[in-house]
Amino acid sequence: MNRAPRPAARLATYIALIVLVSIVLYPVMLVLKKAFEPGRAFALSASPLPHAVTLDHFRDLFGAKTGGGDFLFLRHLANSLVAALATTVVGVALSCTAAYALSRFRFPGRATGLQTFLVVQMFPATLLIMPLYVVLDKLHLLNSVLGLVLVYSTTAIPFCVWTLKGYFDTMPRELEEAARIDGASQWMIFRRIMLPLARPGIAVTALFSFMTAWNEFIMASTFMTDESKFTLPVLIQSSVGQFSADWGLFAAGAIVTSLPVMAAFYVLQRSIIGGLTAGAVKG
Amino acid sequence: MTGVLQRQLRDFAVAALLAVAIASAAFVVVRNGDVVDAQLELAQRSAHAVASGQEALPTTHVALVGPSQSSTRHPILRHRDIRQLGEAADRHLDKLFYDAALRIDREHKGAFVEMLHDGTGRAIAATTRDHGPMIVVAVTDVAKPAPYPLLVMIGVLGLGALLAAAGALVGRAAARAGTLTGIATLAIPALLWHAWIAATAIILLAAATTILQRAELTDQFSSGMRRHRVALGFLAPVAVAMFVLVAVPFVIGIVLGFYDHHQGTWTYVGLQNFRDILGGGTGGLDDGTNFWFVLGVTVLWTGVNVFFHVTIGVALALVLSRSWLRGKGVFRMLLILPWAIPNYITALIWKGMFQGEYGAVNSLLHAAHLDGVSWFTSWSTAFSANVITNTWLGFPFMMVVALGALETIPKELYEAASVDGASAWQRFRHITLPHLRPALGPAVALGSIWTFNMFNVIFLVSGGKPGDTTNILVTDAYRWAFERGDKYGMAAAYATLIFLILRLLTILGSRLAREKEPA
Amino acid sequence: MKALLLALCLAACGGPHGIVLWHAYNGDERTAIEVTAAAWNAAHPDQELTLVAVPYDAFADKLSSAIPRGNGPDLFIYPQDRIGDWADAGVLEPIEFWVDDARADRFTDNGLAAMAYHDSLYGLPMTVKSLALYYRTDLVATPPRTTDDLMALVPMMKAKNGFALAYANVDLYGHAPWLHGFGGKIMDDAGHLSIATPEAAAAMTFARDLVTSGAVPKDAEGPLIASLFNEGRAATVMSGPWFMADIAKDKDTGAYSVPWAVTTLPIISATGRPAAPFASAEGILMSARATDKDTAFAVMDFLSSDASAITRAKLAHQVPANPHAFDDPAIAKDAALVVFERQLEHVVTTPKAPGMRAVWTPYRTALGEVLAGRAEPGPRLLAVEREVKSYTEPK
Repeated sequence: MNRAPRPAARLATYIALIVLVSIVLYPVMLVLKKAFEPGRAFALSASPLPHAVTLDHFRDLFGAKTGGGDFLFLRHLANSLVAALATTVVGVALSCTAAYALSRFRFPGRATGLQTFLVVQMFPATLLIMPLYVVLDKLHLLNSVLGLVLVYSTTAIPFCVWTLKGYFDTMPRELEEAARIDGASQWMIFRRIMLPLARPGIAVTALFSFMTAWNEFIMASTFMTDESKFTLPVLIQSSVGQFSADWGLFAAGAIVTSLPVMAAFYVLQRSIIGGLTAGAVKG
Repeated sequence: MTGVLQRQLRDFAVAALLAVAIASAAFVVVRNGDVVDAQLELAQRSAHAVASGQEALPTTHVALVGPSQSSTRHPILRHRDIRQLGEAADRHLDKLFYDAALRIDREHKGAFVEMLHDGTGRAIAATTRDHGPMIVVAVTDVAKPAPYPLLVMIGVLGLGALLAAAGALVGRAAARAGTLTGIATLAIPALLWHAWIAATAIILLAAATTILQRAELTDQFSSGMRRHRVALGFLAPVAVAMFVLVAVPFVIGIVLGFYDHHQGTWTYVGLQNFRDILGGGTGGLDDGTNFWFVLGVTVLWTGVNVFFHVTIGVALALVLSRSWLRGKGVFRMLLILPWAIPNYITALIWKGMFQGEYGAVNSLLHAAHLDGVSWFTSWSTAFSANVITNTWLGFPFMMVVALGALETIPKELYEAASVDGASAWQRFRHITLPHLRPALGPAVALGSIWTFNMFNVIFLVSGGKPGDTTNILVTDAYRWAFERGDKYGMAAAYATLIFLILRLLTILGSRLAREKEPA
Repeated sequence: MKALLLALCLAACGGPHGIVLWHAYNGDERTAIEVTAAAWNAAHPDQELTLVAVPYDAFADKLSSAIPRGNGPDLFIYPQDRIGDWADAGVLEPIEFWVDDARADRFTDNGLAAMAYHDSLYGLPMTVKSLALYYRTDLVATPPRTTDDLMALVPMMKAKNGFALAYANVDLYGHAPWLHGFGGKIMDDAGHLSIATPEAAAAMTFARDLVTSGAVPKDAEGPLIASLFNEGRAATVMSGPWFMADIAKDKDTGAYSVPWAVTTLPIISATGRPAAPFASAEGILMSARATDKDTAFAVMDFLSSDASAITRAKLAHQVPANPHAFDDPAIAKDAALVVFERQLEHVVTTPKAPGMRAVWTPYRTALGEVLAGRAEPGPRLLAVEREVKSYTEPK
């Protein structure tokens, strides 16, 4: 639309947008308010402004300790960090080579392989949660971060392979062909030429894997019993459990946990959407 | 000549590896079974011996346990006399004797024999005596399991290899015979151990290998591996990981659907679980435990959500793509916020907002002089609460996709159209929409899948309330597994059904998409 | 060789040495149990006791699924209402073998009875929790003795935009004082359901009237009730000993910044009977799969001793199930603990028959609907009874 409408219509549009944005932002403002307002109930009034300001919730969040004197929140943060980092490393490391092979080589079963990766991505992890529970139990990996990393990798790998393959697809083949003429082996080409060039794609994939593992809640909650092994999402969810809801702690924890991933998300939006829809379109 | 021998031994090695694995597994199972049987028999005979007035058998400890008597001061407490026979009375066993007597009294069956659950490999047997209330209990010592017959396996393996090699050296037909007999020799130990299933499996393996050899498939496969070995090398890590972490649990999940799980024991029930689920359980069509009801809720949930996502998303995208609009970046950034927040946090925030008396939503309603709503005590309001939450976090995705698509529309098209006198609606229908469709298509597909499987919102916002009626398929499956008495078998069957439904939907969806696409 | 491997495996796979105990405590109660556990560890360095905190919501489910597979704790602390279920499922170890008369003398008869099921004893009681009436001494001059006294507070509190009473009215546990005060019950002594009775309907009508007359907030639970009480918008609160941790304290001095006191629950004016809450005894229970049962019992014995009970009472206001704990001067002077002890004269022990577990959710849904005015008590209770029967009766 190019012709600018009358000022009245323009004003109406702006007003509508502002109203809509306020509606969308309202829950976020409530959480911000709750994080700074004393008391454990969620909201005694609908106003988005706190009636009193306190840092108690943040103090409780960071200061909570176990009987042994370890800081709980730091433990949870460490658990989340370890799980997410390990998942990312495992996922990306294992997937690079496979994505390259799927992009560049022709071999029997390639099409089926691609199709499988796409299909596996679409199925909810919650379907596998029960057999994974039984498997982890037999391996005595329940209630351990290693078990969690293994499970998160099942969702990370298909996504990593798919996205990296798409990224490799966009890279020109001339460099590889030149290197092959010069006599370099496939592995050398991959390591010395493709990997360095693919760094931006790898970074995006890695960051997105990290975010997915960082935000995962239900598996961590099901597989972990010991509170000191909880990841951040489980901590936050258990602070508003059925019988003892501490909304102040929840709000503080929610803010601290989501800020990093939100920042990452904003940085990555375009790549994420590009990756998601391109994959679906190309099929 | 050496080429033939080499290939023969290669095929033998692969098949033999499998056969040894099968034989070893059979050995462990049989061996354990034998140990258990021996222990049970020992315990039972010892208990009966003492019950009929004879001596206890060696390597068993026997005791006589009296009837349960109430304490006078505390009638709730009950005690029994425990008299161990023999010289070396092991007081640590007293509790075992007590528990056994307790069980005899409770079960009224007169006797029992079983293995202890503490992993020590001991058996316990108890029986009543013909005269008197005393109960005889016998406990065996720890048993030593038989060692792995390494020499036997090596011998058989060597014999098999010899047969295979000999056959290869003689001629083509003999080579096949050599393979067959070579692998079949590995079935001999299994036969000796009475492991019929394992023996049959190994013989079938021998036959299969021979047939494959004859059809030259083994050679083809081997050369194929060599030709694509670079690709295989690159793929190996992911293949292994996917096999262990996805394929194996997946297969386990399907298999478990044919079993029933009750307090730690699995019993085969065939298609019973599937029949129970598809039969709708015990409730009527409007009951939360009825599969069809939950399926209906899930379909409705998906449809309603995607409708709102697309409508709101596209509408916002259209507004935000007006060229005269200022502050696009800011608006866009703020409107993406719901998508950026981790969705479990979103779900919990909205759960707090929908809380009864003082939740923010009800407070706003009160401020508008409307009655508050008790959100989670009726189906329609609980479902709406879920939909509102999911719409809030879902529309940004559609909005961004639509924005991207709108950016690709050349402005000249609109100019030309308005010069031709087309109305706003016509411009939308003939220019905007066709450009939106290819981008929205996959986005709607993805969004539908995500919504169909949206565990966190349903689980955390309404929690299935009221009474499990707002569950969707994935949360219901979770509840079967972890909340309704650990019915893992049922949950596995349920998950298999969900998987089949999803697969069907995605196939249908892609077929529809293919038909709609212009050439 | 194989035997050696087997033994090694048993040693490794047998789990960590020492005793593992699961609990669902928060705040002061958690500090208390950690202090008593530390006392054990100091006295028995070679038999380490490890505490594991598990969130309350998932506690029972995780236990039920872990123990039958040999994975759970050796000991755990939980209220008595699941003892029937768990004993039947073989999750609990009967412990009367180790408990002689001398040990049993340590506890109240009620406390011990709460841990018993079908001729066996399954745990040692740690504390008994029930409800009492907290009130703001600056808003209420004399503690209300009857429900009419409570209603008399309504006009004054309404003027302050507040309530006369705040309690978890949609939950059966919170509603129970009225239920029993009107003569209703959930189960009779034989374990048969007795839900749909005129008395129970009368109790529900009473609860609904409290809401419609503005005496009570419509849909209240823990944190909200605490906020209302602390802000002076609820004159009285019906809650348990755990509520004391939620009352506002001055951060620096630790003293309460809100003037309050606690008294026993009022008498129902309509029937003349005292409001009687559920009494739920929390005990320490032993898993049937515990590896070292003798040591596990020694830990149970220690944690339920008089000394431990006194520590827990001092640190967390846990009402001791050991009558001799009240000999301690500090405990005897604690007004709140004494009130809760006295309330035990008018309580109904939470039934622990297996069917009880299926009652809570349907009853809660029914309460929600009746209090919101969407259903009538009589028919709704009939529906509850039918629903619970369908869950508990074998198909």
